[in-house]
Amino acid sequence: MKSFNNRLASIRGAGTVKIVGVIAVAAILFAFPRFVESPYALHMMILFFLSTLMGSSWNIIGGYTGQYSVGHAAYFGTGAYTTMILLTFKDIPPWYGVWAGVAAAVVVALVIGTICFRLRGPYFVLASIAVAEIIRVTALNLTDLTKGAEGILLTDIPPFMIGDTILTDFSSKVPYYYISLVLALLMILVTWLVQNSKLGYYFQAIREDQDAAHSLGINLTIWKNAALVISAVFTSLAGSFYAIFVKFIDPTTVLPLDLSVQIVLISIIGGIGTIFGPVVGALVLVPLSEMLRSNIIAQGLINSGLVSAESATGIFLKEHLAHAHVLIYGILVVIVILFMPEGVLGFFRTIVARKRKGAA
Amino acid sequence: MTFSVLLQSLVSGVLVGGVYALIGIGLTIIFGVMRVINFGHGDIMMVGMYMTYFLFTLAGVDPFVSILATMPLMFLFGAILQKIFINRILGSLPQNQILLTIGLGLIMSNSAMLAFTSDYKILTTSYSSSSFNLAGISISQPLLISFLITCFITAALYWFLMMTDTGQAIRATAQDREAAQLMGINVKWMSILSFGIGAAMAGTAGALISPTYYIFPQVGSAFTLKAFVITVLGGMGSIVGATIGGVIIGVVESVAAVAISSDWKDVVVFTIFLLVLLIKPSGLMGKSHM
Repeated sequence: MKSFNNRLASIRGAGTVKIVGVIAVAAILFAFPRFVESPYALHMMILFFLSTLMGSSWNIIGGYTGQYSVGHAAYFGTGAYTTMILLTFKDIPPWYGVWAGVAAAVVVALVIGTICFRLRGPYFVLASIAVAEIIRVTALNLTDLTKGAEGILLTDIPPFMIGDTILTDFSSKVPYYYISLVLALLMILVTWLVQNSKLGYYFQAIREDQDAAHSLGINLTIWKNAALVISAVFTSLAGSFYAIFVKFIDPTTVLPLDLSVQIVLISIIGGIGTIFGPVVGALVLVPLSEMLRSNIIAQGLINSGLVSAESATGIFLKEHLAHAHVLIYGILVVIVILFMPEGVLGFFRTIVARKRKGAA
Repeated sequence: MTFSVLLQSLVSGVLVGGVYALIGIGLTIIFGVMRVINFGHGDIMMVGMYMTYFLFTLAGVDPFVSILATMPLMFLFGAILQKIFINRILGSLPQNQILLTIGLGLIMSNSAMLAFTSDYKILTTSYSSSSFNLAGISISQPLLISFLITCFITAALYWFLMMTDTGQAIRATAQDREAAQLMGINVKWMSILSFGIGAAMAGTAGALISPTYYIFPQVGSAFTLKAFVITVLGGMGSIVGATIGGVIIGVVESVAAVAISSDWKDVVVFTIFLLVLLIKPSGLMGKSHM
């Protein structure tokens, strides 16, 4: 009994440390733009928050509920397109349009859920891909609404006003930084709430054995759809944010299969079914792919003298390495699946646990 | 739509469908023997396309003749992939298997982009755009040749699977892995063999369509999706099903392009796919593995 109490205390203790840690990190992140003004650094942080948001939203349906949707670009694109169409054609400012996007994504999620949740395992994966592809091709062909392959380009965003006070006019990256930070933190909070509520237990029961969960009275259709809707809402927010941040969308940037795959991989690489897995995934992936994209690696190889800038290899690396930033996703997922089935976060947890065991 | 237009689209649909069947057969063999859905299938095909392209531009080998080199090389490529990667995850969760093959596909397509840039390459042979008339219907020469080769390869594959001891061992492994092992069949070797065959089929399909299709690093994903539709339609694991499925999808695409518009043909194909999944997930010829 005593050991049980001890263990409980230690769990609670770890919880307090964790909460304090998260609050401290959040405080540092909120103060960050006051000390760092480099737009590039802010840009990287925004990408990191956006990836965290995308990975964590997928984590709800894929990680906690065990339904591997590889069609999340559908919700991302729905959010992005709804916001952009309302803004460019109807002059509805994005902070209203975003909610229309969320509503649209919920409808799409319920339609997809009704169709696809009858299927299991690989068949569900294939169906989720098929629906997302149907949406992509539709967006490509409904040129009156979406401008098709041409895409929608945003020239300016109306300033964000409450009453007559202008909160921000989106002239720098700072407002984007705070919006994406709040969204990412909100998503982490939602994940925590899900994990520690009855909802989370339903989801995890479905993941572990859906027939057993069903026989215990858990309505599979309702709870799978609930998980998908939560996931779709935040993926749609990510899509809307992306659209306003980048100011350009077309079907090949916000609706492709590649995007769906990347959303899944953020979570898988970090570790699924955990609150901080997708955060770790984003922390690993964003800098790596950004390094490839911005030619830091090629430049580094040249600077280090390994490769001469004039040689064929040097020119080749400088020209092409930037285009292959998705390569890193591929390599990482293969490594993770083969050697770290619990993801990067789980892998390090196991190492720490082993060390502690060794020390004790 | 007049009758001759319909007939024309039916004929070209069947011709293209033959190549689709080849892609589907590769996927279905891999699934049948290992229960692994290969999400990198289209990318393997892309490797075959580039192989054909470079054999043609650098060595002047005709794309249809180059199959003699492409097929064994792609077999080897598939066998190595199986030996190094897929074998390790045969027992793990289906999701992890899917993710691993997705990862391998990403590595293949992005490596191709790194090596050959994302430019579209076109392989132009002297007969690329030639066709002949048969009772008012124009038949594209490269498509006809590739269809005939597909028929020959499919027939040879049937013969191999039905008539040889190795073929029988592969089918036994597909039916019941453990029982096959108890009967003294080396199931690991059979897995390597069947992944090799699957990759060889995909690579050959790539070689066959390269005279009539653009070659670029991302070409694979569209064909991976097509291969899924074909195999699910025919029944996962059924070779006869994949053959029929390939021809059906080829015809559906080509008729939809004429009847509706070529922009929407993919929507038609995916809608059929969803309907099959919902109404008869076991497909036309297969047993359900759900």
